Amino acid sequence: MDDRLLLIAIGALVGVCSGLAAVALNTGLHFMAGALSGLRTHWWLFVLPGIGAMLSSLFLEKGVREGAGHGVPEVVYSVSRHGGLLRLRSAFSRLISSCLTIGSGGSAGPEAPVVMSGASIGSNVAQFFSLNERQRIALVGCGSAGALAAIFNAPIAGLVFTIEIIVGEWSARNIVPIAVASVAGAQVSRLLQGKQIAFTHLRFEVGITATLAAIGLAVVTALVSIALTRALRGSHHFSGKFPLPFWVRAFLGGCVVGAIGLMLPEVLGEGYHSIRQMVEGSFAPGLGLVLLLVAAKIAATSFTLGWGGSGGIFAPCLVIGSFSGLMYHRFLEMLWPGLSLVNEGCFALLGMAGLVSGILQAPLTGIFLIVEITGGYETILPLILVSALSTTICHAWEPASFYFRDLVEKGQYLRPRTDAKVLADLSIAELVETDCKTVPRSMRLGEFIRVIQQSHRNYFPVVDPETGQFEGMIHLDDIRPYLFDPLLYETVFLEQIMETDVETVDIHDELSGVLARMDAKGLFSMPVVSADRFIGMISKATLLDKYRNELMVQTLH
Amino acid sequence: MELKLNEFARCLQMPVTTIERWIRQGRIPAKKIGDSCVFSDTALKKWARTHNLSFCLPDEKQEEKPDQKMETLSEAIDRGGIYYDIAGDTVEQVIDSAVSAMQQLGSDTARRVLYESLVAREQMMSTGIGNGVAVPHPRTPLSNSGIADQMAACFLEKPVDFKAVDKKPVHVLFVLVATTARQHLHLLSRLSFCLRDNSFLALLSQRPEPETLRNKMAEFDQRLNNGE
Repeated sequence: MDDRLLLIAIGALVGVCSGLAAVALNTGLHFMAGALSGLRTHWWLFVLPGIGAMLSSLFLEKGVREGAGHGVPEVVYSVSRHGGLLRLRSAFSRLISSCLTIGSGGSAGPEAPVVMSGASIGSNVAQFFSLNERQRIALVGCGSAGALAAIFNAPIAGLVFTIEIIVGEWSARNIVPIAVASVAGAQVSRLLQGKQIAFTHLRFEVGITATLAAIGLAVVTALVSIALTRALRGSHHFSGKFPLPFWVRAFLGGCVVGAIGLMLPEVLGEGYHSIRQMVEGSFAPGLGLVLLLVAAKIAATSFTLGWGGSGGIFAPCLVIGSFSGLMYHRFLEMLWPGLSLVNEGCFALLGMAGLVSGILQAPLTGIFLIVEITGGYETILPLILVSALSTTICHAWEPASFYFRDLVEKGQYLRPRTDAKVLADLSIAELVETDCKTVPRSMRLGEFIRVIQQSHRNYFPVVDPETGQFEGMIHLDDIRPYLFDPLLYETVFLEQIMETDVETVDIHDELSGVLARMDAKGLFSMPVVSADRFIGMISKATLLDKYRNELMVQTLH
Repeated sequence: MELKLNEFARCLQMPVTTIERWIRQGRIPAKKIGDSCVFSDTALKKWARTHNLSFCLPDEKQEEKPDQKMETLSEAIDRGGIYYDIAGDTVEQVIDSAVSAMQQLGSDTARRVLYESLVAREQMMSTGIGNGVAVPHPRTPLSNSGIADQMAACFLEKPVDFKAVDKKPVHVLFVLVATTARQHLHLLSRLSFCLRDNSFLALLSQRPEPETLRNKMAEFDQRLNNGE
């Protein structure tokens, strides 16, 4: 069977499996919510999110030995560096841990865990069929798209999110199987959970005033996005300063969330109930309280995720976004009481798009997700405006999005078809030229002239003939003045003219680092030396050749 | 088709490690089974063409240009010949007589062309390289004249002032004709190796018999071939 057809068929299978995983997590969350709803009245229950976060972190660290974190950067890293290789246990570990965190009241979302789970399913299916890395990456994308499509019942958002964030490459080879998987995932969810639109609403009449007002909203959502990003990272660094076991930290963070939840129960859990109210326009609290809720939800999310709980950022973004939209709407109404704006539900919806786009810096994901989960196509004009502006403003402040910031800091942000990716794929072992003539240090200059005559290179490594140890280099340019002086031929030995303080490269070094060193020192060539053995030379001239080959192979399909 | 991995890499003229990675990453239309590669000949050739790589199977040897054979001194002198008593009082005259004496020049036009280019070269700068020796040669290779690579040794009737570097009159010419610049440099470098040798210079001043000169040159050829 043709490779592409095969990939599409397997992609559909992966989509179904990851859809099932999403439905399972959803069911688990509903069950937890149902079981615990009777207890909400007791004041001491603020420890409940603490216990949930503690169990979740213990399960991740001790049970399955995976780090905390929400999973999306891990998947992106694996796609860019290891061809999408993921462990099988990742297929369920995040589901269980996030179910514990969110079900007990922690402020986090189920989407990132489900994406990780779907991606891992895709990766392991690819390994089962022993597919190559390009196909495996496509299947990782299939898993993530299927999972996201299933949990939101939003196939286009699943596709767009995967291409924009996970795979990073818009090519037909990827899009077709991922689209099929998205459809499969959404279909599974509709079969098992009914064809529901998460946030139904009344018809909005969106006029020119609303579109103009959206510009202001974009600024608000961008600011809130930046605040949320900073708060998440800040709380992560802050919690790291306490010399406490990780599970105690998670417990404390959860308790703080629980305490906030005692006063403002809207911040607990994924928070979809409040979004529903806001979109319908039946959310009662006034401007002051909504402002407080934005701050409280940011705090609760930071304490949940930054202190060791497990879950995604997507759902909190939606909640905070709708709070921001509502806040902005009420603020406008207060300024101009007579202004005939569209109702506040529409702004809650626009706020969600603004926040998702701002945090992920992925405008298309924001637009399509909101259109699909609200079924509100009539808001598309202000929606596009808010998403685009919010992304742009956030990008100016925080050049790397929430998902990619860690990767950028580690120098592992390697998107397909970029210079960094090409350099990361090429290894020193592939570039090293081994046709160098080595010379002993005891050689006379006269003999060396004959070696030069028969070689076509400018660099000669000096190697101990007995031990094979690398001792230094002779560069023709450095000794040119002596070459034409026959008097020196019999009197000068190579050890007198060789360079001993040489910059060397290890065969396992990263090429990007080596190039940076070459640029810094103005070198064109460097010897590759491993364990004191001379292996060969790498030079910028050959690098250009190989770089071009690699670039063509990576970009021309 | 199936080939061993290292053979396959050689066909593409890429390192084995790169090919292994490309197969693993699915960037090249080939599969790896054990240590061999399975691929479709036509698909791979097409792929290589679009990716600016060359692919040729081991049996369809790339048409390598046969490495041009480098002349030895004895071969060149055999073709050019050894001549005695070349007459003339000036540079032009001795060159004219030398060119007239040389046998392996083909047509008279070729002879004319050679004469003119040798004289032009002398006018630019003397080829008298000292110790009574001059090496007249055309400035650019005579690739289209139909003259084969050769070297002619011409002993002069009487020494002639060649405006040589050491101002000594010249008594022997080595006329060098080459079809390529590489060949020219190669012969010149071999000849200059001989001319650095005092025994060779002594031999030249005695106007040796053709056989003696040939043997001496063959001896130098031998030494040069042994990497001296």
